[in-house]
Amino acid sequence: MAEVEFDQASRIYTAGAKPAVNRLDLEIADGEFVVLVGPSGSGKSTALRMLAGLEEIDGGQIRIGGRNMVGVPSRDRDIAMVFQNYALYPNKTVGENMAFPLKMRGVPKEERATKVKAAAEILGLSEYLDRKPRALSGGQRQRVAMGRAIVREPQVFLMDEPLSNLDAKMRVSTRTEIAAMQRRLGVTTVYVTHDQVEAMTMGDRVALLKDGELQQFATPAELYDKPANAFVAGFIGSPAMNLFTLPVSEEGVRMGSSELALPRSLRSRITEAGLSTVQLGIRPEQWTVGSNGDGAGVKAQVDVVEELGSDAFLYAHLDDGEQTPVVVRTGGRSGARRGDQIALTPTSEDLHLFDPSTGERV
Amino acid sequence: MTVTAERPAELTPRRPDRGPGSRADGWVRRAPLLPALVFTIIVTQLPFLFTIYYSLQSWNLVRPGSRQFVGIDNYILVFTDSQFRQVALNTVLLTAGSVLFSLILGLLFALLLDRAFLGRGFIRTLLITPFLITPVAAALLWKTVLFDPTYGLINFVLSPFGVGATDWISTFPLTSVMVALVWQWTPFMMLLILAGLQSQPHDVLEAARVDGATSWGVFREVTIPHLRRFIELGIVLGAIYLINTFDAIYMMTQGGPGTASANLPFYIYQRAFLGFDIGQSAAMGVVVVVATIIVATFALRLIFRSFSGGEET
Repeated sequence: MAEVEFDQASRIYTAGAKPAVNRLDLEIADGEFVVLVGPSGSGKSTALRMLAGLEEIDGGQIRIGGRNMVGVPSRDRDIAMVFQNYALYPNKTVGENMAFPLKMRGVPKEERATKVKAAAEILGLSEYLDRKPRALSGGQRQRVAMGRAIVREPQVFLMDEPLSNLDAKMRVSTRTEIAAMQRRLGVTTVYVTHDQVEAMTMGDRVALLKDGELQQFATPAELYDKPANAFVAGFIGSPAMNLFTLPVSEEGVRMGSSELALPRSLRSRITEAGLSTVQLGIRPEQWTVGSNGDGAGVKAQVDVVEELGSDAFLYAHLDDGEQTPVVVRTGGRSGARRGDQIALTPTSEDLHLFDPSTGERV
Repeated sequence: MTVTAERPAELTPRRPDRGPGSRADGWVRRAPLLPALVFTIIVTQLPFLFTIYYSLQSWNLVRPGSRQFVGIDNYILVFTDSQFRQVALNTVLLTAGSVLFSLILGLLFALLLDRAFLGRGFIRTLLITPFLITPVAAALLWKTVLFDPTYGLINFVLSPFGVGATDWISTFPLTSVMVALVWQWTPFMMLLILAGLQSQPHDVLEAARVDGATSWGVFREVTIPHLRRFIELGIVLGAIYLINTFDAIYMMTQGGPGTASANLPFYIYQRAFLGFDIGQSAAMGVVVVVATIIVATFALRLIFRSFSGGEET
């Protein structure tokens, strides 16, 4: 087991073009479960492959257990990786697949058999050890790939979207299993996904990347409560946070025809930053819904109601002349209908403010 | 395995519309294929029947009027003919040797072309060229430009190393023919194996590297098992073509000296058109066809097993 460090690590595919991963800095503690998340093309998989030794490190360093990995081939890095398509060896049986990393390291045959047997027991694969991968279901193949990674007790686990080929139900259960197994084994794990739910539920800490740049590296709660910039705010959370660019007024900001009062602490921060317009972020659950007659709040008209049972999402647009869309979470039996006029008031004082030109948190 | 045991019963094929009209319907569908079938029978099966008929005759073209029915005498002669056995052995050596060496060279070149390097497209074209040359021209090239004892390039290149004016073709006739064949068939094997190499999933190779395999380990444990079916296909197709080699032998050695470099097709040709012994060469032809059918059956079964094996459990 070991800590992992990305120190200004860069990957440049074509000289002169924008780096796929640009000066990435991450410090991952021993035994930590870190999720790299981001949209496609954000460089999260590239970063993982650099750590695996499958991509060059063109600038900076990556250290595993304090040892610089630049120029070290994959086989000498003491890592194990689970691939998106599992990458099982089609001509080998399940048992041979799991034993392969041990065989390549010259572990004696009896010891290999014992270790494979133990891992198969944990993963519920004991009865499939003599089968070829093509005779297994997707979920079983995924387990074999996990098994192949855990038998050799590496310093670091690397997982590249290991759940993306499973069906929705399987994904949720396997998600929990992987997280539980990682806690039990205590092996440092770097996990790549594009799914923010996986990122939020599995990771001790989450690194959010965009265009090869690290946006924020924090715990899931911090990422949700204190997004570092407007991109993080919009990416984390489902449905996404409502973001409005609004002119600053005396008491707060102007939203359409009405004025939205902001707490003093927020107003002072706006003044400090010297902004005349500001990007205001309000999460769907940070609204209270009143009927139109109440007078207070921002007027909006409901377009779509999504009833999820425990709660409901109202997709509405503001009566501000620009039909700005807004998402509101309400209780499960809100009674709202399409076409209803509603009045929205932000409940929380914990609203998010961003500089509209840089997107940085104010 | 266990799955097959619990196949549901309704999977047994149903045969609907098996009414009185169906037989006529079937013929309506089959009738357009009949001309092709009849043509195929005329051009392949009739000559074979004629050959069997000739093989039971004593019939030498230089002795007109000597033709008579002799039963299986010709076959007895074939099996007691030591030259025939020698030539059959030559055929096996030539076929197996050419297939084996072109396969090994093809594998090496395919591995080379599977990597990215400057001028790869150009090198690939050069490596494929031997396969595109007419076999007769290729044989002539080897015989005159390369193997010739007085002005051949091989002797020219080897002369600084003290190899004198060796007449390669008469000293090593079978090997010389084999070298020319290997030269022509290496590109075929190379292309087949290259297709196999390029159809390898990248992530499996990467997984093997992460799992601690050295380059040799990846090659032995992952690449070779993946290439097995491509290699088998190369062996079978190569053998089917090379067992029928005629042009290279005709051009380079005429089967000589003696029958040292003759294979079965060439020997049969010699018996029929130089020895004018139609009866005996027909008997040889029948023996070769039967032997080929037996070998081909096993070979084809091998191909189909390895290619359908990928999908079954």
